[in-house]
Amino acid sequence: MAESARPGPLGGRHERPDARAKVAGSTRYVADLALPGMLHAAAAVAPLASARVTGVELAAARAVEGVEAVVTAADIPGKNLVGVIFDDQPLLVEDRVRMVGDRLAVVAARTPEAAWEAARLVRGRLEPLPAVHDPVAALEAGAPRVHDAGNLVRTFRVVRGDLDRALARAAVVVQAEYQIGGQEHAYLEPQGCLAIPEGRDRITIVASCQCPFYVQQAVARVLGLPLAAVRVEQAPTGGGFGGKEDYPSEPAACAAVLAFATGRPVRFVLPRELDMQLSSKRHAVVVRHRWGAGRDGKLRFAQVETVMDAGAYIGLSTVVAERANVSSIGPYHVPAVRVATHVVYTNNLFGGAFRGFGAPQVTWAAEATMDTLARALALDPLELRRRNVLDDRRRTICTGQRLPKPVLARECLDRAAELAGWEDFHARPRAASSAVREGMGIGLVLYGCNLHHGGQRLDRSSAVVILQPDGSVVVRVGLTEMGQGNLAACQTIAAQALGVDPSVVQVWQPDTTTVADSGPTVASRGAHMSGLAILDAVKRLRTRLDPVAADLLGCAPERVDLGGGFASVRGEPDRLVRVSDVAREMAARRIEGIATGWHRSKARTFDAETGTGAPYEFYAIACQIARVSVDAELGIVRVQEVSAAHDVGRVIHRDALEGQIEGGIVQGMGWGTSEELKLEAGRLANPNFTDYLIPTAADTPKIKIAVVESGGAGGPFGAKGVGEPSLIPTAAAVRNAVCEALGVEIRRLPLSPPTVVEALGERHPFAWVAAGRPEEEHEGLATADRER
Amino acid sequence: MPEPVRVTLTLNGERRTFHVPPGRRLLDMLREDAGLTGTKEGCGAGECGTCTVLLDGSPVTSCLVLAASVDGHDVVTVEGLARAGRLHPFQEALVSLGGVQCGFCTPGIAVTGAAVLARHESDPAEHARLLSGNLCRCTGYTKVLGALRAAATAGEENRG
Repeated sequence: MAESARPGPLGGRHERPDARAKVAGSTRYVADLALPGMLHAAAAVAPLASARVTGVELAAARAVEGVEAVVTAADIPGKNLVGVIFDDQPLLVEDRVRMVGDRLAVVAARTPEAAWEAARLVRGRLEPLPAVHDPVAALEAGAPRVHDAGNLVRTFRVVRGDLDRALARAAVVVQAEYQIGGQEHAYLEPQGCLAIPEGRDRITIVASCQCPFYVQQAVARVLGLPLAAVRVEQAPTGGGFGGKEDYPSEPAACAAVLAFATGRPVRFVLPRELDMQLSSKRHAVVVRHRWGAGRDGKLRFAQVETVMDAGAYIGLSTVVAERANVSSIGPYHVPAVRVATHVVYTNNLFGGAFRGFGAPQVTWAAEATMDTLARALALDPLELRRRNVLDDRRRTICTGQRLPKPVLARECLDRAAELAGWEDFHARPRAASSAVREGMGIGLVLYGCNLHHGGQRLDRSSAVVILQPDGSVVVRVGLTEMGQGNLAACQTIAAQALGVDPSVVQVWQPDTTTVADSGPTVASRGAHMSGLAILDAVKRLRTRLDPVAADLLGCAPERVDLGGGFASVRGEPDRLVRVSDVAREMAARRIEGIATGWHRSKARTFDAETGTGAPYEFYAIACQIARVSVDAELGIVRVQEVSAAHDVGRVIHRDALEGQIEGGIVQGMGWGTSEELKLEAGRLANPNFTDYLIPTAADTPKIKIAVVESGGAGGPFGAKGVGEPSLIPTAAAVRNAVCEALGVEIRRLPLSPPTVVEALGERHPFAWVAAGRPEEEHEGLATADRER
Repeated sequence: MPEPVRVTLTLNGERRTFHVPPGRRLLDMLREDAGLTGTKEGCGAGECGTCTVLLDGSPVTSCLVLAASVDGHDVVTVEGLARAGRLHPFQEALVSLGGVQCGFCTPGIAVTGAAVLARHESDPAEHARLLSGNLCRCTGYTKVLGALRAAATAGEENRG
């Protein structure tokens, strides 16, 4: 599309279209919607992680005043299945409990209080079975089987290069095992949906969700309806981060079954504690490394083995593992690579999508090993990365794919180092004896934008653009706003393409009856895929708009330019007519003012056996450098500053872009330092914000951002996704900064005070006090709240 | 069923009376009885701050306040922050400086921020501390604190 002489809103900071209603409290989320006769749903869940079910007692629940329906597996009209990829998860349990939180029954009642009281009174007759909670132990012979087929779900691999030769040429070899914990999404709006039945023929679901088409498929399956009879409208969604990718299908399917059972609208909003207990999590993983480098500091080989705790159901775990697998060595040039990523069933909460999708864990391990290598080679960590990072000459990634130019990893590294003042910081003397120590650490990410080759059949996107008779514009897309700014991005892209002010464009939340299946809003593909579909729709609209404008202007249609709210004659900017006048004229002539748009990602080749080829079309690259102070006595980490340099291709909406980077950094910092899922026999022991600590305003670091615009990427106007690259390197950078500050290696995430104190060992300032004393006294002396 | 309790209060500047069950939370009275759904429920345990309202000018988590206890008091919700059809200066700053993402924590943040500004607090470190009871998972707080700082500065200039 030719660029107009009048610059549009692209890259600007105009007001987000959803901000004013949200700040005034007038945006209606699911919990704010009510209908006459509406019932409230609740779920009765299993308290054990592994059991045989011999029966479910419902009489007491049914007797609660206000209860209209109590439903079990036998009452489901269609199929009792909710898995996105594998059919291993029932909506309601039949004979077997595999995790704490498996649903025994669901209830609909006239008040939420009655519904939850009834749910509490549902009694499952459960015979406990052996359970397995450690993914490594789950792979051993004789481990209790979570499903009949065994606990190893799948292994993904990368096999590339001559390992024997590389081993012989390596002067330094680092081996390490990393224990990396999971993470709770902690979106502020709990999961919720509203199911509105029309007899038993059709149903509308209004859901807080990232993926309305997933919800549509899940509801159609449990009700036994065709897809066209299930309409899913995305409600304004109060945060997702991956937690509202697959999980919302479960409450939606429950509400749908109850709505059909009662013939009444049913609203299902999860209380926070159950939301945290039942919903998917970032995977806990164990990563083993053996990496080698030459005396020159150049990487020779990387061996990575990851064991990923999928929990009791696969959900999206295989897809998460697919991404983790090919992200295992970061943005580094490595001649010989061996990666194995195992997906393993346990009786824990199930892992799923979470911003970064398996990449944060393997990135954390990769960046930790890079720092260990730097120490072994007596090289500055920045220098070691300069010697190994991909650039225009060395463009081959983990899978053997050659990246298109420009490859700006080195640029990002240098820009972040400059922002952080790396050289000055390291030239300054630092007191090693004081209790509070300072450190600086680096994290880099190479992020494959959009869906992996394995999911490319889903990688398409639909849009509808309607030019109204008054010149205002309706845009509908299939990808969702969950806070990240997709409405703002779509508005900006449509306004830019139509040459109008963004305020003229109204982007409405997705509805499965207005656009075609556009796949999930994940993988940093929202603005990219909806944007390209919008551009396609605008192109088609202009085949009808331009001739009308040309008539009004008295020029050939090929000479029509759009910009600044006007259609003008190219090269003669003073001959112009308002776009709104063109719209009015189109309406007067009864010319079709609606156009659809479509985009699909480019087909790629990838060999799943060897993990080689092109898993993604193109990549985002970023570098973040964290400066921390660590209280060596208490083990408390304070992230002072994060400097972030991101290649985003092209900025679409600057506030939304910065918001993604700032939010990703703080969420990544939380995962790396304070957020710890405490599982006791598969039960989450800290399902609340008092015991599960997400960062507050008082924890937020100073954030410096350098935006690198390489252009050229395949996204709208050359943009690429930033939602996930913003989070992935943060925890790694923080870990490396803490380790530098203390002179220790920490191989466990999060870096909670007990973990930091333990890592200090003999270097702890009070170690001399503890020396030769019984452990209990040592525990008493340490002010840190040790893990029991 | 226990007898309903009569609660008369000043709600967003208007004198209102409700008859509520004795155990009703202020949050539910606002959302269900008064229809003011701008106040959100994020945790129901006083941890997240999404249900923050002003009780006699001070921010409280309305999920932990009994409706019956506000009889005779003054309550302001997010819907009551606007003056003469114009958003509160902190709300305006959140909109214009990119401080809004998913929006679910935003009403609570707007209410707490309004209380901070009413105290004429201008120290950024103090802003961060006072906002630390309002969790936000999207923004990383950077632009939220920036908006509060901007509103505080503008307020000082107006007074000066």
